[in-house]
Amino acid sequence: MEHAHSFSVVFRGNTPSLWLSMSIVTVQLGQCGNQIGFEVFDALLSDSHSSQGLCSKRENEAYQASCKERFFSEEENGVPIARAVLVDMEPKVINQTLSKAAQSGQWKYGQHACFCQKQGSGNNWAYGYSVHGPRHEESIMSLIRKEVEKCDSFSGFFIIMSMAGGTGSGLGAFVTQNLQDQYPNSLKMNHIIWPYGTGEVIVQNYNSILTLSHLYRSSDALLVHENDAVHKICAKLMNIKQISFSDINQVLAHQLGSVFQPTYSAESSFHYRRNPLGDLMEHLVPHPEFKMLSVRNIPHMSENSLAYSTFTWAGLLKHLRQMLISNAKMEEEVGSDCVAQASLELLVSSDPSTSASQSAGITGIDWHVRPPLSGLPPLGKMSLNKDLHFNTSVANLVILRGKDVQSADVEGFKDPALYTSWLKPVNAFNVWKTQRAFSKYEKSAVLVSNSQFLVKPLDTIVGKAWNMFASKAYIHQYTKFGIEEEDFLDSFTSLEQVVASYCNL
Amino acid sequence: MGRRRQRVDPAAGARAGALPEAIAALSRSLPSGPSPEIFRRAKFDRPEATSALWQLLFRVLSPLPVGNALASLALEAQAHLVKSALCSQGYPRLALAQLPEDGSQGSRELLLALSWLLARGPVPEQMLAQARVPLGDEMTVCQCEALASPGPPAPHMEAEGPVDVRRVQWLMGKLQFRWRQLVSSQQEQCALLSKIHLYTRGCHSDQSLGHLSVTEAEMLRDPEGGQQLLQTLERENQRLEAVLAWRHTELVFWRWMDTVLGTCAPEVPAAASQPTFLPWVPERGGGELELVVRELQALEEELREAVERRRAAWEAKAGGCGRGPEWSAARRASREAVEKELGALQQCWKQDSGPARPHGPHRLVRREDGAAGERDLRAAEVIRTLRSQEACLEAVLRRLQGQCRQELARLVGALPGLIWIPPPGR
Repeated sequence: MEHAHSFSVVFRGNTPSLWLSMSIVTVQLGQCGNQIGFEVFDALLSDSHSSQGLCSKRENEAYQASCKERFFSEEENGVPIARAVLVDMEPKVINQTLSKAAQSGQWKYGQHACFCQKQGSGNNWAYGYSVHGPRHEESIMSLIRKEVEKCDSFSGFFIIMSMAGGTGSGLGAFVTQNLQDQYPNSLKMNHIIWPYGTGEVIVQNYNSILTLSHLYRSSDALLVHENDAVHKICAKLMNIKQISFSDINQVLAHQLGSVFQPTYSAESSFHYRRNPLGDLMEHLVPHPEFKMLSVRNIPHMSENSLAYSTFTWAGLLKHLRQMLISNAKMEEEVGSDCVAQASLELLVSSDPSTSASQSAGITGIDWHVRPPLSGLPPLGKMSLNKDLHFNTSVANLVILRGKDVQSADVEGFKDPALYTSWLKPVNAFNVWKTQRAFSKYEKSAVLVSNSQFLVKPLDTIVGKAWNMFASKAYIHQYTKFGIEEEDFLDSFTSLEQVVASYCNL
Repeated sequence: MGRRRQRVDPAAGARAGALPEAIAALSRSLPSGPSPEIFRRAKFDRPEATSALWQLLFRVLSPLPVGNALASLALEAQAHLVKSALCSQGYPRLALAQLPEDGSQGSRELLLALSWLLARGPVPEQMLAQARVPLGDEMTVCQCEALASPGPPAPHMEAEGPVDVRRVQWLMGKLQFRWRQLVSSQQEQCALLSKIHLYTRGCHSDQSLGHLSVTEAEMLRDPEGGQQLLQTLERENQRLEAVLAWRHTELVFWRWMDTVLGTCAPEVPAAASQPTFLPWVPERGGGELELVVRELQALEEELREAVERRRAAWEAKAGGCGRGPEWSAARRASREAVEKELGALQQCWKQDSGPARPHGPHRLVRREDGAAGERDLRAAEVIRTLRSQEACLEAVLRRLQGQCRQELARLVGALPGLIWIPPPGR
């Protein structure tokens, strides 16, 4: 303790830099990772520069300083440089990303922070994992090491990649494994993009299970964004007619920003939390079998509507809670309050089997009917055919930002019925409140949840992959480069275990 | 109750006022020591002296320097911890265990307990060493302190019924996160120390040190902080002087303590009475002992069997032959192999328990020329020693893990129809 005090004053500038945030190094992998990464840094810095923080000047300055230290390093001429390493097998997307950042004038990527090859190499997971990975290991790890050494205080890695892609996903799995070996004490969070249900790549399910099973072993937390879900947000809430990847990525970046921008802890309101990854992980993913995290953020709307909307914390939190319970991806899906509430009551009543069917006046209905194959639940009125499976959580974290945040009442999230039996709400639920508003939203709430939300999609993917595997379709593409059938079997086993663990909550 | 004999000034006891002086010196040498008046009242078992003595005993018995968290414990909690700590050290008087924990009575008993502790070891000196202000950047080079002190007694928590193993895994996971963060922080600290030592080369007036430590650098940057440090050092000096004064005059105190003991009622022999206070033993404690006994017996069986097998194998191999050049060459080779293994094992053990091993905190000094004084330790050697210890411990860990796996496999094999899928190893 004595030493800590000494250090904090030795490096005094305006604020002791050791009271500032610890730094995160982002690894952007493949086309997906690089495009999203750009939007994330852009969103973070724009928010940091926003003039509508709704807080005092001093508060704002502390926020900006913390955000900068966390994600950017300083160069002499003052332009912040993102703490990021860009990796791709072809130069096109990386060049676009670099130039977009430079064009903004507000920030840029480091000159020597990218690794790419001259030509791509087909969309092959096994090739990315077994060939590209080992071949370019030295170069990539050396870039990462340089970036880590630039950090005064290093929190961990944030790795952005897609799950079902070919080369990018395979390479991403390899890089994460390498990071585990070389930095065993550093924290690693992988941000993975769950593919569209009706994706175009035939082998995307193989790629998905291979990626997930490898990451489950070497990563500490998997923060999942589903393309389908974000697409719907763009369509329904933001009223975007022609949805481009850029729109999707901006919504993603908004959600991530609202998680990773500086927050106060409940205990100490004197300075922002220092360890973003550590705090998040300690509260949400200490159990090695439960590593999947989802993000739900409200409100979401186009900038035009934003000016005309006001919210109360009570309303926002009620919606967020409904989204959690009914496993909705966005607020409109919840339908009417009473339906979701009714489903909650049905499932927590003393004898679900009898009272549910009695109150519905129906016998013999299978209450676990799968949702429609399109994957889109009916909006508005919920039909009885909808799966009433209640979304049980392992742990939840709610981050609130904006005006009057201290008055926000989160008691609804402390209901023991929301959580699994072996973890009490006092241990399973945490809330972080920050006065400073995020990205022009007067009030915003984000829920990072470790719950059963991904069980269905995961089960679906595993099932489809298994069907293909049973007939050995396309396996040669993988065995050709060293991914044997045994590796597939290992992956199936691990993921079945994950599904089972979550189902048994 | 024993008493330490110390060479003291025999005339000291004769002076009037010698007793208050002695007690005052004792009080000044201990952290937040109570006034001599409290001691006097305790002799007559006055209730108002009780809580101060509970708190003093708590400070003395906490193995770690008492930080804010521990100091703010309620009196009942402190009293409870004092009782359990004394009991675990073998304190003989039962009356203390029976005292109420609210501080309403028992100051004489507490006084007796305090003097028992003072008689057993150099308490004021130990407490001074604990709260020492290090001027240099220090680190310890041995694990002795960490292994010897059992840590502060944990508040005991009752498990309500069977505990879900997932909850235990959750808690383990949290611990592991904290552990990793600790390791990262330590690495950060080392990097920063290195920077500071490098940047302040040539700044120190003491040539043998050559560069500043963090505390010293801070004194230069921040004169106000330097003043505070000076005051802390002065306070430390005062306590040192108090300790010296105490050592000179303590005989008076012991004579007085004899009179205190005299005023107590004689204690009933322990055999007849049952202490009402028992240290908290987890319910499964008895079961653990049985487990250990069984494990030892199983180990003995295993060893016996292994010896039998080896002997039989050797007989088979060596019986009938025993002449010839290949046999003697083989014998020589195997003897050499065994000697090498034995040597390695001895080396390992020697490093673990050698008397020449360095102990305690050492100041970190960075030197370009590599010159080292007689009592100095080179970092490279320390690192080497630690690495070999690490290797020994890792070998033990691997062996134990292997045994665990074998045991699991055996258990699983006994259950028909059960397929055991081990977690994917790498």
